[in-house]
Amino acid sequence: MPDPPLFVTEPPLWQRVFPNREWVLMIVIAAELAIFALMGENFATSGNGFEIIRLSVELGLLVLALTPVIVTGGIDLSVGSMMGLSAITFGWLWHQQGWPIWASGLATIILGLMGGWLNGLLIGRLGLAPLIVTLGSFSLYRGLAEGISGGVVSYTGFPDSFLFLGQGYWLGFLPPQAPLLLVAIILVGIYLHRTISGRTLYAIGYASDGARFAGVPVARRLITVYLLSGTMASMAAIIYVSHLGQAKSDAGSGYELMAITAVVLGGTSIFGGRGTVLGSLLGLLAIVILQNGLRLAAIPSELSGILTGLLLISSILVDAFSTRAAGHRPATNNRTPLPEEEMKVKNTQVAILSAVIILAALIVAGSNWLLVRSLNPSPNTAVKNRMTIAVMPKAKGDPYFVSCRKGAEEAARELGIDLIWDGPTELDAARQNEVVEGWITRKVDVIAVSVENQASISTVLRKARSRGINVVTWDADSETDARDFFINQATPQGIGNTLTDEAARILNGKGEFAVITGSLSAANQNEWIKYIRARATEKYPDLKLTTIQPSEDDRDRAFAQTQTILKVYPQVKVIVGISAPAVPGAAEAVKQSGRTDVKVIGLSLPNLCKPYVHGGFLESVVLWDTFNLGYLTVHASHELRTGRLKQNAGSIDFGRLSQIEVRNDQVILGSPFIFNKSNIDQFDF
Amino acid sequence: MSNLLASHARETAVLLVLGVLLITLGLAAPGFFTAGNLRDILLINLPVLVTSIGMTMIIISRQIDVSIGAQFACCTVATGLLSKTGLPLPVFGTLVILLGLSLGALNGALIAFGRIPSIVVTLAMMIILRDTLTWLTEGAWVQGLPADFQWFGIGQGPGQAAILGLITIVWLAFYWGLSNLAAGRAIYAVGADAEAARLAGLPPQRITFAVFAMAGGLSALASLCNSLRFAELQSNAGTGLEMKTIAAVVVGGTAVSGGRGTLVGSLCGVALLGTIGTALTFLGVDPSWEKAIQGVIILAAVSADLLIERGSQQRSANA
Repeated sequence: MPDPPLFVTEPPLWQRVFPNREWVLMIVIAAELAIFALMGENFATSGNGFEIIRLSVELGLLVLALTPVIVTGGIDLSVGSMMGLSAITFGWLWHQQGWPIWASGLATIILGLMGGWLNGLLIGRLGLAPLIVTLGSFSLYRGLAEGISGGVVSYTGFPDSFLFLGQGYWLGFLPPQAPLLLVAIILVGIYLHRTISGRTLYAIGYASDGARFAGVPVARRLITVYLLSGTMASMAAIIYVSHLGQAKSDAGSGYELMAITAVVLGGTSIFGGRGTVLGSLLGLLAIVILQNGLRLAAIPSELSGILTGLLLISSILVDAFSTRAAGHRPATNNRTPLPEEEMKVKNTQVAILSAVIILAALIVAGSNWLLVRSLNPSPNTAVKNRMTIAVMPKAKGDPYFVSCRKGAEEAARELGIDLIWDGPTELDAARQNEVVEGWITRKVDVIAVSVENQASISTVLRKARSRGINVVTWDADSETDARDFFINQATPQGIGNTLTDEAARILNGKGEFAVITGSLSAANQNEWIKYIRARATEKYPDLKLTTIQPSEDDRDRAFAQTQTILKVYPQVKVIVGISAPAVPGAAEAVKQSGRTDVKVIGLSLPNLCKPYVHGGFLESVVLWDTFNLGYLTVHASHELRTGRLKQNAGSIDFGRLSQIEVRNDQVILGSPFIFNKSNIDQFDF
Repeated sequence: MSNLLASHARETAVLLVLGVLLITLGLAAPGFFTAGNLRDILLINLPVLVTSIGMTMIIISRQIDVSIGAQFACCTVATGLLSKTGLPLPVFGTLVILLGLSLGALNGALIAFGRIPSIVVTLAMMIILRDTLTWLTEGAWVQGLPADFQWFGIGQGPGQAAILGLITIVWLAFYWGLSNLAAGRAIYAVGADAEAARLAGLPPQRITFAVFAMAGGLSALASLCNSLRFAELQSNAGTGLEMKTIAAVVVGGTAVSGGRGTLVGSLCGVALLGTIGTALTFLGVDPSWEKAIQGVIILAAVSADLLIERGSQQRSANA
């Protein structure tokens, strides 16, 4: 490599504004905007623009916090967990301790400071690796949040003036949290790019020892950076609480990875020494617009993950090639185990390369869109009078909802309507809100939601109703004034009673049983446990619920938990699984333990359980007909829109389901069904 | 003695914490120490143990891989689908290992030859693999496997023994290779200083590539061994496996700055983190505190290691 010139001339303007080739991202964003304006419905509206901003505030704060951290060559995996701990602390102080909102907020931010300080201390003073320290605090902070709240508690009922911060509009269009993000952008931008101590972060990231020898107080700077990130995470948590209207221990889970993705996409080197606030923000925008655009084009949301991943790899490849082409030495701290070799790539070639990658990504998106269109014989844009019903499950991957979807699709075919089926891939209240916001912008006719968290979704459902969209809830209800009808498959009480009666029948009314739940923070499962307890105390005084263990909706984990329960509590003779994967997991554990005196019952899908029912390990499965639930939801949504479904309408026929009872504002599917050895083979879902 | 302590500071610290945990269990819940329970704990932690071999090598070579959980899920679904086509176990087993190897090799190629930081490649790969899997399977499980799928069709007891034996052999092979083979030592050399390794005539790119490919193969092996314990396979298997593995490896003393770490240390890390969950249930602790306790243990182990090291440095300075 030639020696660098003695006098460094000022680089041209575009290089000063985009030192990391942020223009690549600008092209990507421009392409996204152009494509989605064509594909998505109501994408290119100012209202949608402001919604995109609203959705990016919490993540934006984390991105801003992580940029300086990564510039120093560090990483902070604990920001998402800190959001959870902050949210639960904030809710607890306000709700349980009666502190005013501002005082709770202040205390929460101080907590964030302390959490960041702990990270900074271990990293800066003790010199431990940031990855390990924040991996530890990632577990610790989330664990504290779950421990304090038992995972169960969620605080709601915040005053309107506070909720306005996250849900309202200034001057009729501006989300109030947007100016906050702007202030944070300016402050972090000035700190990182215009102050002396901010500039030293680059020196630390490039060569920490060198910086120390040059007189930079490395430990103090590192502590500052992690303090900042803890504080920003707790601020993000407060905005998150006001946005969702609830404070719960699972706030912000998974946000750390999204924020890191955005920062890295924005050109910040993961090894430190390189990165800009502008780049990180562009990275964030590229991801958020992609998600929003795909949603409005009614493309399955998994595609946004796949595209984000491809974008991440390809943009860094472009960056790596163009950096070498321009003769810069990449600031990699020698961590890439590669010899330096000169790559002669001209700028024009770089431009062609990026264009090709973007084009490839868009072709994937476009062909998918065409595929979706070709599957629906008459495209909804051409025939405007075709009704669009948007149905959301709690989690798309859950086998329970997969079988509901089949029923929904059959009903959609019968009625000749457009069905949009989308939702979070895992239980995630915040993501549910985002999807509904997207549907409101898209102006669908009916929204049907299986609600993960009442308090958080009700505001956005009310907004949908005020825009003339009919709203029904199914499977799990929202607040009653936020929807027109609730498609009620079975009440929590009915489920709790049936399960307890089954357990009592097997135990002859006397003995101990254990419960394997999905997750400790799932609202409906906690509701069922409540009724199981109530029924046991009320009707079966000799029945004892010994322990409740979570399985994170993971079969293998339910298996392990059951094995442990069988050993710790040998007197337990019945295991009640109340999440679909937990029941076969528990049954497999009983099978492998060879304990013939223990029986499993639970709430699950017949197909998952058949082998165990026939093997005699699983006594009975309690469930309603999920296929019919999906079918009924779409039919009822349709009848609601056409005006045939009214309150207290008595018994009506919905498609092939006859004589369905409509009581007040609920459509009742019927009571839960008990599947056992004698009848389970008649069902296929 | 103090030298031995200093050179194995982390292993000592981890074993100390594990010892405290086991003594507490011995006093409060002696039922923990039954052969059946220990065997079950071992079997449940097998996936983490196997992936920790690959992760230890990756972290020694100064890289990271957050995509192994997603690789695990892909291989689990592939295992199910291939076995349903009626292929015999040796054939579909080999195919699944090949799939894992090629997923790992893809990571390795992008990292070593494409010069992209490993955290970026594997983060992207994690998202891509998981989302593709959800998209294609829609969350449906693989069911209706052949009757002789579970436990290789040789029954539960022999099946468990076979799995444990296989993993023991693999673990010992890697343990021996990492400390005795030139290729094993080369991983340490590349992690400690890639440029120096290159000047010494080692090919850092090819070594990095091989390490990631092997880690992929080990993820596939882990998924295979886990799948054979069940009669149905879930498509979202291995959720959080990458975090569990990384935590176990770094708690076991492998330095994220590269060039330092042993499989014995990682084994200690897996033993400690894998026992906590079961131990807490035996001790009757509310399950909602489990994550917090895990976090404290990770932080305590890494700080304790530092203190032991500093303490022994001071002693040798005083002497």
